Amino acid sequence: MRGTVFLTVQSTHLKYEMAFSRNITILKGDSATGKTTLVDLIREYNLNGTDTGISLHCSCPCYVIAGNTWKEQLQGIRKGLVFIDEGNRFVTSEEFAKAIRGTEHYYVIVTRESLVNLPYSVTEIYGIHSSGKYAYQEPVYHHMVRIYRDYTVPEADRIDRMLVEDSNAGYDFFSGLSDTKQIPCISAQGASNIFGFLENVGSKESVTVIADGAAFGSQMEKVYQILLRRPQIQLYLPESFEWLILSAGVLRDTEVASILENPSDYIESCENFSWERYFTRLLTEKTAGTYMRYSKVKLNPVFLQGRICAQIAAALPEKLGKILASGLEGEYGEPCQD
Amino acid sequence: MLKIYYGDMEDVIHNTAVYFKFNYMPKWFEDPDVIQMVKDVDKSVVLGNGAIDSPVLGVIAPVTLSGGLKTLILIDKVPEKVFNASNCGDNCAKWLLRIGEKKDVTVNLRHLMDFGPEPFEALVMNTGEQVHNMDQVLSVAGRYV
Repeated sequence: MRGTVFLTVQSTHLKYEMAFSRNITILKGDSATGKTTLVDLIREYNLNGTDTGISLHCSCPCYVIAGNTWKEQLQGIRKGLVFIDEGNRFVTSEEFAKAIRGTEHYYVIVTRESLVNLPYSVTEIYGIHSSGKYAYQEPVYHHMVRIYRDYTVPEADRIDRMLVEDSNAGYDFFSGLSDTKQIPCISAQGASNIFGFLENVGSKESVTVIADGAAFGSQMEKVYQILLRRPQIQLYLPESFEWLILSAGVLRDTEVASILENPSDYIESCENFSWERYFTRLLTEKTAGTYMRYSKVKLNPVFLQGRICAQIAAALPEKLGKILASGLEGEYGEPCQD
Repeated sequence: MLKIYYGDMEDVIHNTAVYFKFNYMPKWFEDPDVIQMVKDVDKSVVLGNGAIDSPVLGVIAPVTLSGGLKTLILIDKVPEKVFNASNCGDNCAKWLLRIGEKKDVTVNLRHLMDFGPEPFEALVMNTGEQVHNMDQVLSVAGRYV
């Protein structure tokens, strides 16, 4: 499946309007916000249709899977939007991750647990907000609100150390840039190591963490709790390093620009468990046979040179870009105005 | 004392909604603490005789309460069992602490519940350490969830 799936579910007293753009969406937040009620409405509608008085409008079929027979239930459904309520222990299992990989569905999972086997984006973790009351004539209106919307843009004026999730090309790029500023740059060798590293950061040390937002969802709550307590730790979460290069415009490719405008319309969920895989493949294909030939394993040095490096630096959040690339006109030059 | 085991744990009732559905007792809703929990977490009023007035759903039965509230009530009323407290949102945290002040309860947490800025007392069973604030919770529990 690809594209954005719009869902409206309404009963006499409740109304939900939601949109899902990726294969995995997480719903969490406070109790009593209406997450389970949403799943119940869909379950009831599937069981009893219009007899329920519920109206459901969606661009694809909606399903609910639950309990010990989840695997059989999953096998029996066509391409659709699959809801899983909290309390279903299978969502944390490797078996579940294996089973949904390569399927055509979009999954909406109600859970507060970190699903380390699933590569979900920090931008697809939502809470539900509601407005209105039962006594009013209008139904109580529910919509999704992104939970981690304010913590992905670094605002620090100083960086003492950088921590990069990646150990390959992304690390090569950021360590190359930070070397010129004599800022130590360390590879975390994976997203799951970032929390442990941040626990040991000195209280006055200003650290910027760079990780792939497209698959950082399972780590976000722990890291977010550290950010709340240590404002000198900053987090930058581009979709992925490859997305950063593509969005910097170094390829001057109109198709890439269109894709980046609305990636969901182009990224087939059954082929791309997470968006970072798609962006890696896109960058690799687009640069194949050119002097910019991209390899994830080791950074092509051209990305650290001249106009190309300057353009990538310019695509970073403003303050991070200034710290890492300011005063490098000689080597890095000003970004080209295309 | 509130005892918390973080991460995977044996013999935990994971699907607390199902357990509640088949095991809740109407008399639980006569307890002033439960009445307060219903009011605070679900913003609802216990009317008596198993009826609850919800601002969103109208008059409902206890099984229709929020998953977090049902879990809280189970933790309070069935302390000999261990329930998955990750079905509770952060708006249940203060009630978990209050229950732990009254009696010994063990819960399984599979995420980092935010217990708020005030000092509290809980035992992290994974390490046997007592914790008194969220900084301590984070440094101990962060390894397990």
